[in-house]
Amino acid sequence: MNKIIVLLFILTGFTELEVKSDQIITRQGQTSFFSYTSVENIEAKNNQVLSIIDLSKHKIAVSMLMNAFVFKKSLMHEHFNESYIESDLYPKATFEGKIIDFDPLATGTQIKIIKGDLTIHGITKEVEIKTTIENNNGNYLLTGDFEATVKDFDIKIPPILAPNIAKTISITFRFEYQPYEK
Amino acid sequence: MNRKNKIITFLFCLVFAAGLYLYFGFYNRSYETIDNVATDISISSRKLTSTYMLNEKNANSIYRGKVIEVDGIVKEVSFLNNRNTVLLHGNDKYSSVICDMQSDQIEEVKKLKAGQKIRIKGICKGFLKDAILLNCMLINTQINE
Repeated sequence: MNKIIVLLFILTGFTELEVKSDQIITRQGQTSFFSYTSVENIEAKNNQVLSIIDLSKHKIAVSMLMNAFVFKKSLMHEHFNESYIESDLYPKATFEGKIIDFDPLATGTQIKIIKGDLTIHGITKEVEIKTTIENNNGNYLLTGDFEATVKDFDIKIPPILAPNIAKTISITFRFEYQPYEK
Repeated sequence: MNRKNKIITFLFCLVFAAGLYLYFGFYNRSYETIDNVATDISISSRKLTSTYMLNEKNANSIYRGKVIEVDGIVKEVSFLNNRNTVLLHGNDKYSSVICDMQSDQIEEVKKLKAGQKIRIKGICKGFLKDAILLNCMLINTQINE
């Protein structure tokens, strides 16, 4: 009986250990978006993006506050939050997906596809994002870029401002992870 | 006729000048620095994170978009992605208050050490796993206890 208890103890101890080393986190991921038109270029950065990767399940989750995007001009920030993204109603953008054929143990650089659901402005779209994963002795860095169509996420831009805002927005990201201690 | 033309020209100039003023004075306005803005709420970093963890929606209605002053203990100072960020200890070891410091604060931020008790003023943006404050500045860095 005692042996079984000890065994159970060891087993649960091991699984806990596994959980510990299996998740990595960033609280200060960087995401930027760019809109290039002949009228004006708009750029915004969010430096407080949260992301967690489950290394054993190859799963990635990303969450960010839309009102934490910083623009060069305060009026752009105002338009973005109040008219386009409606950040009072939809405060967060999220992404949940799976890194296809990800090898967490491989050191160096690997280029992988992440397949998952991107939610912006309350609308979810399935996307595939190419990412460069650098594994430097257990310190993971994910970078990449992709494009999103404004129309896909039901973002309404008044006709008078339509020439100022690109139809497709390019998005770049840079997430530097740390072990997530549970 | 000549007089009418003059008036039209004058009015046109006036409108044009007003437009220029609006463009440069208003549209091109960058962010205000936070020192000129009055604080709405003062709170400790522990209380801020615990309020958020208890009920995010409720906490957002109190703090989101507000200028708040937060007392807390430095957990970490980070210069990741060329930002100056101070993390304050939250309610438990998983949560914190992430303070993105104004660029003019860099010299002060460099001097900060983990464990130090400080007060930071910033605009609360919401909560993910941590409360997020932007446009932050240090207030009375000399709190010694």
